[in-house]
Amino acid sequence: MFPAIAIFVSLAAASDPAPVFQFVKKNCIACHNKSNASGDVDFFALINVKPNTFDAERDRWERAASKLKTNEMPPPAVTSRPAAGDVAAITRFLEDEFARQDRTAPIDPGRVTARRLNRTEYNNTMRDLVAVDIRPADAFPNDETAYGFDNIGDALTLSSVLLERYLYAAERVVRTAIFGPERLKPAMIHYPTPVRLNDTVEKPTIPKDLFHYDETGLSSLHSAHVTHRFPVDGEYSLRLVLNGHRPNQSESARPAIYIDGKLVHQWEFDATDLEGQSVEVRTQVKAGEHLLSATYLRNYHGLPPKYNGPEPSKRPPMPMLDSVRGKLSEKDIETLRKYGTKIKTDRIETRIDNRFEAIDIGGPFTQTMGPAAESTRHIFVCPQQTDACAQTIVTSFARRAFRRPVVAKDTAPFVKLYNLARQQGDTFQEGIATALQGVLVSPHFLFRIERDPSKLFAPVSDVELASRLSYFLWSSMPDAELIAAAERGILRKPATLAAQVQRMLRDPRSRALVDNFAGQWLQFKNIDVLKPDVGKFPYFEDSLREAMRRETEYFIDNLIRSDASVLDILDAKHTYLNERLARFYGIPNITGPEFRRVDMSKTQRGGGVLAHASILTISSYSTRTSPVLRGKWILENLLNAPPPPPPPVVPALDEAKIGQSMTLRQQMEAHRANPACASCHSRMDPLGFGLENLNAIGEWREKDGNFPIDASGMLPGNRKFSGPAQLKVLLKEDREAYLKSLTEKLLTYALGRGLERFDKPVVSAIAAKLPASNYRFSALVFEIVNSLPFQQRRAAIEPTGVKSE
Amino acid sequence: MQKQLSRRTLLRGAGNVALAIPFLDAMQSAFAATGGKKAASRVGVVYVPNGMIMNQWLPAKTGTDFEFTRILKPLEAFRQNIVVVSGLSNDAAKRAQGGGHAKASGSFLSASLPKYTAGADVRAGTTFDQLVAQRFAADTRVPSLQLGCEDSRMIGNCDTGSSCAYTNTLSWKNPDTPMAVEVNPRSVFERLFGTIDPSLDAATRARRALYKKSILDVTREDTQALTGTLGASDRRKMDEYLTSIREVETRIAKSEIDPEKTPTGEKPSGIPFEFRDYVKLMFDLQVIAWQADISRVSTMMLGREGSVRTYPEIGVPDPHHPLTHHRNHPDFIEKVTRINCLHVEMFAYFVDRLKSTPDGDGSLLDHSTILYGGALSDGNGHSNDNLPLLVAGHAGGRRGGHHFAAPAKTPVANLFVAMMDQVGVPVERFGDSTGKLEL
Repeated sequence: MFPAIAIFVSLAAASDPAPVFQFVKKNCIACHNKSNASGDVDFFALINVKPNTFDAERDRWERAASKLKTNEMPPPAVTSRPAAGDVAAITRFLEDEFARQDRTAPIDPGRVTARRLNRTEYNNTMRDLVAVDIRPADAFPNDETAYGFDNIGDALTLSSVLLERYLYAAERVVRTAIFGPERLKPAMIHYPTPVRLNDTVEKPTIPKDLFHYDETGLSSLHSAHVTHRFPVDGEYSLRLVLNGHRPNQSESARPAIYIDGKLVHQWEFDATDLEGQSVEVRTQVKAGEHLLSATYLRNYHGLPPKYNGPEPSKRPPMPMLDSVRGKLSEKDIETLRKYGTKIKTDRIETRIDNRFEAIDIGGPFTQTMGPAAESTRHIFVCPQQTDACAQTIVTSFARRAFRRPVVAKDTAPFVKLYNLARQQGDTFQEGIATALQGVLVSPHFLFRIERDPSKLFAPVSDVELASRLSYFLWSSMPDAELIAAAERGILRKPATLAAQVQRMLRDPRSRALVDNFAGQWLQFKNIDVLKPDVGKFPYFEDSLREAMRRETEYFIDNLIRSDASVLDILDAKHTYLNERLARFYGIPNITGPEFRRVDMSKTQRGGGVLAHASILTISSYSTRTSPVLRGKWILENLLNAPPPPPPPVVPALDEAKIGQSMTLRQQMEAHRANPACASCHSRMDPLGFGLENLNAIGEWREKDGNFPIDASGMLPGNRKFSGPAQLKVLLKEDREAYLKSLTEKLLTYALGRGLERFDKPVVSAIAAKLPASNYRFSALVFEIVNSLPFQQRRAAIEPTGVKSE
Repeated sequence: MQKQLSRRTLLRGAGNVALAIPFLDAMQSAFAATGGKKAASRVGVVYVPNGMIMNQWLPAKTGTDFEFTRILKPLEAFRQNIVVVSGLSNDAAKRAQGGGHAKASGSFLSASLPKYTAGADVRAGTTFDQLVAQRFAADTRVPSLQLGCEDSRMIGNCDTGSSCAYTNTLSWKNPDTPMAVEVNPRSVFERLFGTIDPSLDAATRARRALYKKSILDVTREDTQALTGTLGASDRRKMDEYLTSIREVETRIAKSEIDPEKTPTGEKPSGIPFEFRDYVKLMFDLQVIAWQADISRVSTMMLGREGSVRTYPEIGVPDPHHPLTHHRNHPDFIEKVTRINCLHVEMFAYFVDRLKSTPDGDGSLLDHSTILYGGALSDGNGHSNDNLPLLVAGHAGGRRGGHHFAAPAKTPVANLFVAMMDQVGVPVERFGDSTGKLEL
């Protein structure tokens, strides 16, 4: 066994701490003491920690230093303020002391606990292992998250519920790969679609803005969107159940259905009463999740001339209609019904409220059967149906599934499973299927296990490094090229490693960084489940929601692919828009549903994720903006300075006193008069106020209700700004905090563990190297890949000495 | 192109429940009443989030002639089957640190302090449903069901720095292990009845079952061999896996699913679109699990704390949680009340199903104790006092038909002690209990 080794040695502080203690006694202790302990800090206790409180209680002192530096402490309401020079001297002392600790601390790569594949990794690994993309893990229980990510080894647990799912998933995946997808009986799924047409009800003419549907019609209020997972490749029936009606004399309605934004079919439907009618098409659909959208094409074209729509109807008005006044006669009604005209009690409907009642999906019909050629190629690496071939097949499969070389001892149990099935009289394929199912529930497959070094710490093996790389950049298993480089022992050659990382970043699989890393870091995926208030934002519909998410995805994806500067995330000259989002942003001359790069440098909105409607919406309430939420979002995600939770007794806004005549800003400022609130809100709120020109779904505005927007604020250091553009300039000045923040997040994600005290110097060193390479994304990835914690692993000894917490 | 009026009407009327009913009928014929055998006791918890509009919930009168308030109204037909319980507090939530919602549901069924963290080191207390489940585990295939009607796939921490574990589930198997909640009816179905394809012949099924056992054998041996070579933290993960393997093995050994009892109806295909249909289907599955004695313990969350579900079907297009911070705005209060009413309406459906399902010498309701309510009373102020609670069912011979007002600040744990007693799992103390509520 290993001797216990003191990893952290608590040395005395470099210089005399007395001035700090005096400062604290004079300026801090009135609130931060034993009986009060505001913010969970008691400086009396803290300054008595031996031998070096700055080391033992580093997190608390770091927080103190940062609060002093940003003028958050003492709170603004405190009148007897410390001299600026004193504050500067104290923070400098603390920072020097922290730097000294980091310089002298023994290095430690840390230990990553065996990581269970999470749902995304499981799905991707199955896709790459046997070319079966049925996403079995979607039915698994949710993965636990920690430190903001769902790939943290310590947090990911494994219950018997999950094991049962693994057994079932292994069976389905293997059977699909060997025998083809299971034959499914056609089934009907009924999606009632929400009605979003209240705006147009009872209006004789059409509101002008309704003409502004994009060329697909998918953004208009009468469109409907449903996300559906098609279980297998096959033919499906898509049926649109219609509702509402169009006025007499209108030309045909043109319902249409799209899959993933591509037109599948359109119909001409010549009736004015659409209620309960349906149109149907059969089409081939690939297995997987697809967005189905229904709309009426050119809905306000071809209406009777009196509606003043574009290209009005050329049909003659039906003669009896102009003469109709008051009640209809029975004969009129009969005649009108022949034309399919909607009659409401005793008058003719004049509204245009055609919409969709439901989207029904039936199928699969004529399902594509049999195994995919690629699956067969992956599995049946030996052509004969012999026991010898079975051995070869199982060995080859286990080697790929375990992501490392295997020996006979590793594969013997699975060969045993093959034999068992054969003894039971089952076929060769059934035997292989049984063996492969065993491989897929083996801990060697489900966990990424790394062997402990025989000394205190050492590099992980080359094949372990290959898995670290592939799960970092692809959320999936290493491919043949990567594992070959590892097995040949050349992966660690700097040129090879650099080439592999570049190749992996260029590979489409690096899209996983957008979905998993950026999606969790910036949290923009929450846009999928948020529900902005329908009354306030009736035009927030699913195609806009989709466009918002995709803007951010495109932006990050292109940043990675073009290896742009990570500072672009804070502020960029460009973004990616389609017609729907461009119209929402007020940018002209962009038509069609495809996203393209758009120059934003001349716009008030500008670029960077703080200009993305997705981010602005997820950091708002459903009815209004919240400078607090936005400020908190920036602090947490871009500056790595998460504010502490509010104190247990939050003094509520006294909204009764605050009349309707006040702006949100005035209300918030009244709230900040309370020193307990002010200490944090003075940091959070100004950041949020800088974005007030963008409403709760990210639309530009000059006024909030009756009041003009005041988007001015002040950041620590008396730096005044007004509006998002100036705010972003100041944020870029604070780039050091941002770069450290991004580095911490990406390193956490790459390692699959929470960062520890001993990682601090690593983070600082990586962040400090970024300017030299123009902040390129690949530079950050390279630095992480080459860092001590990514390359190495500590042996299984529990450190003694002071542990950071 | 064809007229669809009749079909449309059918869909409107039945919604997705149409999927559930034939399947239920098939089930009920599959499981003849458990004739002869002494009926087992069942425990359920039905949880509603974000507090209650208390003056619309709490009856003014106590005792047997209490009145049905607006929110309780849907339960009026079941007066004799329920006891409204008031005056109970959850002190643990008050003492804990963290978000008001996370603390409430994180401490609710254990009456113990959840640790304030957003990291991997979540810790709360073993919950009373799990104590019961552990006691009943030997008799059923699925020790307990954790059901929910709200997908919890939200990212990040869930309530001002508190882990999502505290709001995503009610049940904790032990202080470190929150039990994952199942929200997909199809998955619940597969959990209850396994995944064997009902169309296979008996011989093939038998072979596949044999292979599954062998695969588990191989995996267990492999994992054991591996464990010895690993360091402490990795070993913990392997131990966790070994435990799961043994649990599954025990489950299989104990009760291989009888092909005769495998349902032949369609499996639920997924999550129904309408909230009412969704909740009903989840309750149906719970009823089947109890009826077939596959499981005896369930917790069911109609929503999780902080839920932002909207309820346009009852004129509430606004998300739930922000509404509950109503600051006494009458419009907000009205909308929250409607949500509270809808939830009770759903619960009444469950009670009705239990009451009309024969079980031994009576009905399922006769042999159950079900807690309904939430861990917050006033959602606006995140209050943990005078919680909105009621119990239904007659396990242990409990009589219904009254409003039991406990002295103010009585620990809610006293009610759990009483419920455990009623199902034959008596405990001296639980959490911060000071006694047993004499309902």
